[in-house]
Amino acid sequence: MSVETHAHHEHPDVVGSRNRLGVILILVADIAFALSMLFVYFYLRMQNVNDMWLPKATADVPATTPISSSTGYTITAIMAVGLLAHFYGLKGIQAKNQTQLKLGGQVALILSLVGLGYQFNTIASSPFTFNSGGYASCFYLITILNFVHIVLTVFIALGNWNRSRLGLYKADHWHVNIVNVWWIWMTVSSLLGAFALSFT
Amino acid sequence: MSLDTEKTPQWWKKKDVKQTFVIWVILTPIIGYVGSTVQIRSMGAPASETMASVINLMGLFTWVAAPVAALVGAMCLTTLLTKSHYGDNPPHEAENEIRNSPRANAIWVSISALLCLFALVVGLIVLQKDAGALTDKAAMNINVTGQQWVWNYDYENGARSSVLYLPVNKPVVFHVTSKDVKHSFWVVQMGIKIDANPGYVTETAVTPNKIGVFDIRCAELCGLLHAYMQNKVHVVSQADYDAWVKTNATTEAAA
Amino acid sequence: MTTTMDRPASAPGQSRRSKPLIERLNIFTALALGAISALVVWQLALHFLPQLPDGQQYFNREDKITLLSMVAWFIGFMTGIGALIGPFRWLMGKDLSHDENMFYAGKDLGVKRYFRYTTDHKVVGIQYLVMTMLIFFIGGTLAMLIRTNLGHPQGGWIHPQAYNSIVGTHGIIMIVGTIIMVTGPFGNFIMPIMIGARDMAFPRLNALSFWLIVAAAVPLIWGQFIGGITTGWTAYNPLASQAPLGMDGYIMFICIFAISTMVAGANITTTVIRMRAKGMTWNRTPIFIYGTVASVALALPAFPVFFLSQIMSAMDRALGTSFYDTTHGGSGWLYENLFWIMGHPEVYVILIPAVAALMEMAPVFARNPLFSFNIAVLGIAGISGLSVLVWAHHMYMAGWAPLLNAPFMLTTELISIPTGMLFLVLVGTLWRGRLWVTMPMASIFALLWNFMIGGITGIYLSDVPADAFLHGSMYVTAHFHYTLMGAGLTGALASLVYWFPKMTGRMFDKKLSWISFWMVQIGFNVAFMGMFLVGLAGQPRRVETYAKMFSRGNLITTIGAYVIMAGMLVLLHGVISSWRHGVKAPMNPWQAKTLEWSVANPIPLENFDVLPVVTADAYGYGKAKS
Repeated sequence: MSVETHAHHEHPDVVGSRNRLGVILILVADIAFALSMLFVYFYLRMQNVNDMWLPKATADVPATTPISSSTGYTITAIMAVGLLAHFYGLKGIQAKNQTQLKLGGQVALILSLVGLGYQFNTIASSPFTFNSGGYASCFYLITILNFVHIVLTVFIALGNWNRSRLGLYKADHWHVNIVNVWWIWMTVSSLLGAFALSFT
Repeated sequence: MSLDTEKTPQWWKKKDVKQTFVIWVILTPIIGYVGSTVQIRSMGAPASETMASVINLMGLFTWVAAPVAALVGAMCLTTLLTKSHYGDNPPHEAENEIRNSPRANAIWVSISALLCLFALVVGLIVLQKDAGALTDKAAMNINVTGQQWVWNYDYENGARSSVLYLPVNKPVVFHVTSKDVKHSFWVVQMGIKIDANPGYVTETAVTPNKIGVFDIRCAELCGLLHAYMQNKVHVVSQADYDAWVKTNATTEAAA
Repeated sequence: MTTTMDRPASAPGQSRRSKPLIERLNIFTALALGAISALVVWQLALHFLPQLPDGQQYFNREDKITLLSMVAWFIGFMTGIGALIGPFRWLMGKDLSHDENMFYAGKDLGVKRYFRYTTDHKVVGIQYLVMTMLIFFIGGTLAMLIRTNLGHPQGGWIHPQAYNSIVGTHGIIMIVGTIIMVTGPFGNFIMPIMIGARDMAFPRLNALSFWLIVAAAVPLIWGQFIGGITTGWTAYNPLASQAPLGMDGYIMFICIFAISTMVAGANITTTVIRMRAKGMTWNRTPIFIYGTVASVALALPAFPVFFLSQIMSAMDRALGTSFYDTTHGGSGWLYENLFWIMGHPEVYVILIPAVAALMEMAPVFARNPLFSFNIAVLGIAGISGLSVLVWAHHMYMAGWAPLLNAPFMLTTELISIPTGMLFLVLVGTLWRGRLWVTMPMASIFALLWNFMIGGITGIYLSDVPADAFLHGSMYVTAHFHYTLMGAGLTGALASLVYWFPKMTGRMFDKKLSWISFWMVQIGFNVAFMGMFLVGLAGQPRRVETYAKMFSRGNLITTIGAYVIMAGMLVLLHGVISSWRHGVKAPMNPWQAKTLEWSVANPIPLENFDVLPVVTADAYGYGKAKS
């Protein structure tokens, strides 16, 4: 029989690695979600049922024109820069540099807000309606869920920056590592969406 | 039961192995016979070659599965009959320590792999035959349209009906679609089924080989009156069919 | 318990200020807040959502209002129960203090613990147990309505719409009930103790996973009053697009439940990977743990696909998109694919932990080591791995890709190999053991019997030509009841009797456990044998009336169903009476060797004062002392 210490005295590295695994497992679910979204996109595109993937113009409705794929890549670029900013902050705290941590977190937060606004604008200004065929449906699905992802990112970036501001990462900083994992997945999922939407 | 006090005979000479073997020999034919007979009887008389092969397949699979089921049953029965202990407290721990037996594992896995292969090959042979029927050039074509909650049939000469008529011994290919939700076109005694999907046309083929009236049922929940979405197929002689389809073609065309 | 030191990072002074709020939240505030927010959003939506022109089949204002109200209910309820406190405290940088965490764990709260956002895994386990029993009670009642209606060919005393809704609701809640029946109560209560941990890896997520199910239940019940779920549990589109508003209840239910399984899956998997006791190598980890992890880990990638399919269904209904509407470029086959990519792993999510629980009990009651541990693990892993590659065997007859039928037939039949391994392990463990004949031991035999029938009929169904006849018939219904109920539920009921002494501190009444065992098993076999027969004779599934030729088989099934019901009521009586005044249980009534039997009754708050160290596996019965 060992005499291990009480549960609440677990070493931060132990707690950190446990939390990291938990987040990665939740991301497994999110990855399955994103991949099935790609499946939806490419399945409907391949089927092109009744030739209604991109409906042609009719008497009262003009033809559906797809959104330029650059919008998707722009949002991915914004998120990628956000990831870099967060990573910069993470490097800072690894070198015990609180200022760098705060700066990186702040920039990441601002970028996530910019991304949120940009994504909202893409959805709001789309030149078709929900009922404009297969492509339009998929466009809304992918962009709206990316929007929800970015909302989560804003929450996480805000918390991360606020906690760095309060100096909570002096003793250990595994939170910042995990937030970095989230940022990586956020960027990748945004890229996947942009990639799919570039096949019109 | 103190098997260990005997001078560890070869495994097949042990008493419980012999008991198991006897029970297995008795159980196998019982399971095979009862299992296949009950199922085959319930399925009724086939009205096509396709259905006959389904029935044969079910009987064959049951007979092949019977020895495996009987082995599990025999081992359970032997153990249960000779080693049971009742009471509020546990019996002594077993004296035989069997933690593993690579030989048993290997045999078991090989047998199940062989049975799996067997089922696959038999299934593929029948599947190949069914798939071949779809491309039969001599077959007549009938368009089947499902809608809530009726079936409509369009014949090659423009006739249309809500009750299906087929000539006996003539291959037929059904082109199935739906107007609203998903249905499933099931000609029960002929052993064929294909879903009727809105927006798509699916195909299935059969050659009825018996004159009579058989059942068509919808096999996919399609809303309020799904249970009532069934009608009959009349399999008639070629002469009767020709006469029927001619009168129907004229009446429908006039309408 | 020693609760001496504070966490260094938290500041006790700050946390005291908001402490009263934490203490005030419970199920009543949650229900109230959920109801209020649903009402408010409903009224707002009624007033402010614009009226739409008629004739837009897939674009429905009522659906928008219903879905918005249900989302409001969900958010209100989760806020009211206190689920958002953790995230917001993290955001504010005021982490929960040690005292607050102990409060959350239910320290000194008595019975009130069960009505709060309590994080103690034992409380969550009991909550799951009661929830599961409640689900089975409702689902069973619906099953009895179905069987009563089908007792006579002209049945028909239930309106077809109500009948379809009963079938759909019975289906979906029994699926959810069976998914949580082992990993919920026993995976939460027993599993952490079995691996020698003080709690789950993420106690707050544990509470979250349970309360999400409570939150999910309400939209489902709500849906019953606004048209019901008339599509069967599969909710195929486009049938679901034209279904009444009750469908929105189904959609919300699935979405929330999917989040719950995801959270629970991540939590249980992390706990097992990271928190096993010292010395508990993978070779010494009990087989039940493998079963639990395989189940929840399989649900992780499976349920998001279902989640997505329902989001798209909701968008089709409420916004007017056309994912499943073929006139606007959608496809019903898309839904079927998404549904079954979740749907087939899901049946193994149900089955694996139940079989694994019986594999855990087999050595205990045969007083014999588990036969071939490696084969057992291989079998579980093989089933989990293959189960994600077989979904299209539900779609042989859909016509979506006839060329893929042969490959899916291959993968489906391959599953019989790892399934056979589970049989080998169970029979090998019983062989030459000394059978202590108790209800759990009898359940192992019942499982072998039922699962053998379920498995062999599964091979017929996996065969494409035979499936062309059997698909969509009552034969399929009987087949999956044999696997999910005959094998799955049998394992869960045995687990209940087996772990009852540890969970409640009292023995399960022996006589009642035997009576209910025989009634349920005999009733079950009578009912579903009858169903096999009518299926073979050609009766389709989900019909509310049938041809006269099927009346005998249906009558047999109905009689069997009533026997099952009586048996389940006896079991319910057994649970209640044994829980209230059963014989006090000793620490280890079954003389088992897993860790959960080494803690005292009642189990202290953090299970182990001193964490155990494991030196051997739990199957050292007989001469085997590895």
